[in-house]
Amino acid sequence: MSEQIVIVGFGPVAARLVDELLPAVRDGHVHLTVVGAEAEAAYNRVLVADLGVGRTTAEALALSDADALAADGVDVRLGIRVRRVDRARQQVLLTDGSVAHYDRLVFATGSRPVIPNLTGINPDPTSPVLPAGVTALRDLRDAEVLRQAVDGGKRVVVLGGGVLGLETALAAAEEGATVTVVHNGPHPLGRNIDRGGGAVLAASLRRCGVRMAGNARSTGVEHNAADGGFSALLLDDGSAIDGDLLVISCGVRPRTELAEGCGLSTASGILVDHRLRAHHEPHIFAIGDCAEVRCPEPDCARCRNAKGPSGLVGPGWRQAEWLAEYLTLLASGASEEAGLLPELPAEQAGVVVLKARGMNMAVAGDNAAEPWDEEVLTAGAGNGRARLQIAQWADPEHGRYVKMTTRGGVLEGLVAVGMPRTAAELVGLFERGAELPADRSLLLRLDGPDQLPGAAADPQGTVCRCAGVSGATIQGAVEEGCSTVAEVSKATRAGTGCGGCHEDIKGLIEKHFSPAVP
Amino acid sequence: MTKSADTHCPYCALQCAMTLTSPAELTPAVQPGSVPVSAPAAGERPSLKAPLEVSGRDFPTNRGGLCRKGWTSATLLNHPGRITEPLLKGPDGVHRPIGWDQALDLAAGAVKDAQARYGRDAVGVFGGGGLTNEKAYMLGKFARLALGTSRIDYNGRFCMSSAAAAGMRAFGVDRGLPFPLEALDTASTILMLGSNVAETMPPFVQHLKGTRDAGGLIVVDPRRSATAAFTADGGGLHLQPLPGTDLALLLGISHVVIHEDLVDAAYIEERTSGYSAVVRSVNSFWPERVQSITGVPAELIRETARRLASGARAGGSYVLTGRGVEQHVDGTDTATAAINLSLLLGLPGSARSGYGTLTGQGNGQGGREHGQKADQLPGYRKITDPAAREHVAKVWGVPEQLIPGPGLPAVQLLKSLGQPDGVRCLFVHASNIAVASPDANAVIQGLRSLDFLVVCDFFMSETAAEADLILPVLQWAEEEGTLTNLEGRVLRRRRALTPPAGARSELWIMARLAEALDAPSTYSEDPETVFEELRLASAGGLADYSGIDYAMLDRGEAAYWPYPKGSAGTPRLFRDTFAHADGKAVMVPVAPRRRRTPAANPDPAATTMTLITGRLLEHYQSGAQTRRVAELLETRPEAKLQVHPAAAASMGINEGALVSVANERGEVLCRAELSTAIRMDTVFLPFHFPELESANRLTEAATDPTSGMPEFKFNKVWVRPAATPLSTNLLQTTEAS
Repeated sequence: MSEQIVIVGFGPVAARLVDELLPAVRDGHVHLTVVGAEAEAAYNRVLVADLGVGRTTAEALALSDADALAADGVDVRLGIRVRRVDRARQQVLLTDGSVAHYDRLVFATGSRPVIPNLTGINPDPTSPVLPAGVTALRDLRDAEVLRQAVDGGKRVVVLGGGVLGLETALAAAEEGATVTVVHNGPHPLGRNIDRGGGAVLAASLRRCGVRMAGNARSTGVEHNAADGGFSALLLDDGSAIDGDLLVISCGVRPRTELAEGCGLSTASGILVDHRLRAHHEPHIFAIGDCAEVRCPEPDCARCRNAKGPSGLVGPGWRQAEWLAEYLTLLASGASEEAGLLPELPAEQAGVVVLKARGMNMAVAGDNAAEPWDEEVLTAGAGNGRARLQIAQWADPEHGRYVKMTTRGGVLEGLVAVGMPRTAAELVGLFERGAELPADRSLLLRLDGPDQLPGAAADPQGTVCRCAGVSGATIQGAVEEGCSTVAEVSKATRAGTGCGGCHEDIKGLIEKHFSPAVP
Repeated sequence: MTKSADTHCPYCALQCAMTLTSPAELTPAVQPGSVPVSAPAAGERPSLKAPLEVSGRDFPTNRGGLCRKGWTSATLLNHPGRITEPLLKGPDGVHRPIGWDQALDLAAGAVKDAQARYGRDAVGVFGGGGLTNEKAYMLGKFARLALGTSRIDYNGRFCMSSAAAAGMRAFGVDRGLPFPLEALDTASTILMLGSNVAETMPPFVQHLKGTRDAGGLIVVDPRRSATAAFTADGGGLHLQPLPGTDLALLLGISHVVIHEDLVDAAYIEERTSGYSAVVRSVNSFWPERVQSITGVPAELIRETARRLASGARAGGSYVLTGRGVEQHVDGTDTATAAINLSLLLGLPGSARSGYGTLTGQGNGQGGREHGQKADQLPGYRKITDPAAREHVAKVWGVPEQLIPGPGLPAVQLLKSLGQPDGVRCLFVHASNIAVASPDANAVIQGLRSLDFLVVCDFFMSETAAEADLILPVLQWAEEEGTLTNLEGRVLRRRRALTPPAGARSELWIMARLAEALDAPSTYSEDPETVFEELRLASAGGLADYSGIDYAMLDRGEAAYWPYPKGSAGTPRLFRDTFAHADGKAVMVPVAPRRRRTPAANPDPAATTMTLITGRLLEHYQSGAQTRRVAELLETRPEAKLQVHPAAAASMGINEGALVSVANERGEVLCRAELSTAIRMDTVFLPFHFPELESANRLTEAATDPTSGMPEFKFNKVWVRPAATPLSTNLLQTTEAS
């Protein structure tokens, strides 16, 4: 008796769930239907900007193959939406008129771009019709629009200083477009980054050829292009930023209307408990961008500080893996084991790593406190809880900046710009909750040009590692009459392994025989 | 009158060519007797001069070079600790000499007893990658026909099994380097993953020089190893991933190859299958995500992909893997990811590029081809393949049904020791499993629970010390035979010295035991005769030796398998086709799996760290030999825990301080060695040392589902300063060992 599982949505998170459920499908425990609104099977949305600037191909974005899945027995419905969920009958009604029964229904509907309220743009939030020359860069067709602008060396205006906007801007600029980023606030990335990091970041972006228009509030778009398309972004100070393409990158909002339509509880996303189940509905789950983990228990400690969906794909993938294991157990009749499956641990605050060539930036956690903000640093301390500590290093001249915000030696926030190894190390320490070395400058040194630990100091002054011969031994041999590398090798075995020290031995011989400088 | 023999080094798979010269035929000056059980005491150190002089010999692999281990190898030949008579353990636990007739009677009797009481599979055989081809072949035949057991496996399971499984899956055949080593000389890019050749096979380093000069050596190692240090000063790149994240790193590099359009599309089309599934599987591993997983900066991941691709177009690119990435529970998948990367770039089977794995043990290549593996018959044949069984049965002159089915891989075999339905009587050859196996404490318990343990060795290794019966065997300079080096080239080992009177060849021992057990077929004690039989048995198999004979090897011909009769051998494999039915290489999508959560640290005084294990230049494997070479022991007398100074400072550990390294499986006590060459969250311990310093007391016997490889390189440990004052006992052990 196989269980019917229906997945609504076929983005990256759904793709992972499908992959993880495949063994159960092949075993006949699960009959799986996946419904995707786009014509393509899941692809990696994170890389749509790369596609848009011509750096990669659609093939290289693919995460699933509809034919391969069908061959495994998965019922894949592409280009079709779910019109309605009938919870009483446990079935979904599709736009092609068909009906699918479910034992378990999983929402993986993801999110849609936020379209700001600008004159000249249709404000309908659920089905925005964007005018020509304006794109939100969400799917493969949007990528094609950007592609044409970049290939044509056109002027691109990016609205929004979030990480996706910056990535698009950097990639497009590197590929030859003229790019302006318009953002509010003094620096990009808003509250994710602190003032110092933001300033260094903005300077680095400029160095990469991206124009930065900060402290800007946009009010509307102008359509004076020859084809009636976008020609300029209008700002509230009366100025305008001319361009041929406007890329809107103002964040995303969970797609919850289908869930709301069938009476599920939602906040910013579909509310699910720690087992990813919709509140008071054992047959329905939600994962990824559309899901908000916040259980119905009013005094659940873990949910007290819960934030809405992160908009990052990593947590969604972890949810997909967990849910696949859970659903597989349920479908194979091991409901007791399923009940014992440890709940998914709470997600760390998201780490934002800028995907760009030639520029490196990572931020995570809360970076608001400055080293001298005594009040901020001590707030919340006491009762055995340590105060915040800040270590900071700034070298704006060379585009380098690091800030480590720690409590009890463990990172609560980090900023690293222009310091790739340090950034990689800090992100690892942040994600593992590991303690930093007391001397924080050790971490900065990872990016130093003198990164040659180990090789440098050899207490015995070994010249030939293979045979374990010291410089002193070689000198002794030279003093006793050896005058060629071969003779030294014969006498001491130095240079008889890999031969890498022959130059060093030669140097010692020459040193011995060179006449003393008067 | 001087006498000399051209042979090869007794240690690693590089098999450096050497010449052994003796002033005259010497009789080794060892007096047999009861010998100390544990590490050699001071008095045991050889005072005698080695009976042979060792010199490097020009050969394409080592070009006359040898490392310290090779130079000093002859001192073991007349080492006072040499076992030269069969030794039987008495009720008091002391080993005493007995005659060979009695020894063979006891061994045969133990086999019959165990099999009469518990069935044929109650007798097991554990072989080694140091055995010659002839001995490895005969051991497999002896186990299956004379002992009639399926329970045979060997220590190569701890070594090459992951790469072997991945190679078989992708290429249809597993030859460590499918190209001669000299091919590396002119490469412009070499990606070396988890291999520290500067310490483990120093003369190899000569072949990296050209690439270093071109700035193209890329070393992946969590430690700034001696090999990684070669990348300094423009030699190349060092990628330092968190332990256990190699697979994700490789997926990230492949991701860049695909996304930056560096794929060799024509090659993919003509020579591979499975491409699009692999593309989908790496599409979710973009560099910045991989940076978060591995700690390797995204830009270095991209740079690595680009250099490999540019090398593939001009000069040559090679991807080489070693135990550092293979000795994991996902070792097969990691090796597969390395192979997929090399296939994307069109490296395997091309004229200037390739993929290879660096075999470790002396005959680690030949030892995995001729039947001492649980699932295998000679010629790299599958024991479950009816045609293979038919062929081998015919060569052996027995009915096919007489050959047992597949046995248990090493870790499972060792777990079965003394268990109901497990092995009750075990023969160990060329292996020191009490030190070299994962979860060594459990293995030692297993050995002690056996009804009868027979160990063939020439020293009182830690495993021999557990034996009921020790049979003294020959050392390398005392025997004839062949080995197959890391390139798949078959080499001659030649005798330079008369063995001690009481020592015997393993071929002789197997022949006598087979006789005592009334075994079917024949068991020659003459290596060349055995090789002639191996040729027939391997004919038509993947590792076909049928065209190779002693005479051509003695003429110095370079014989690379497959070498079917009438061919000229195969220096470079895969030029035209891969060994699958359709001739294509198979790309298999792989992904990191979640790992088991390790036990929580119960000791508030200790810090949880990641342990990686490995080798030192001065020692080889369990150290059973190299710890008995005075010069090597003086340089590296004890295991030291490598720890970063910052981590050490936070734990209150000074240079040279005694530390306790523990987890749920056991505890190691040793001194600390501070080094910035290691990550702050990771410690390194060499595995050459026994007892309190035995790193494998801490490693987990969890295994790779495909290869049976245990997890050697990613274990959690709890580190703290050793709490109690030193017991005098420990001091003595560490100073004398």
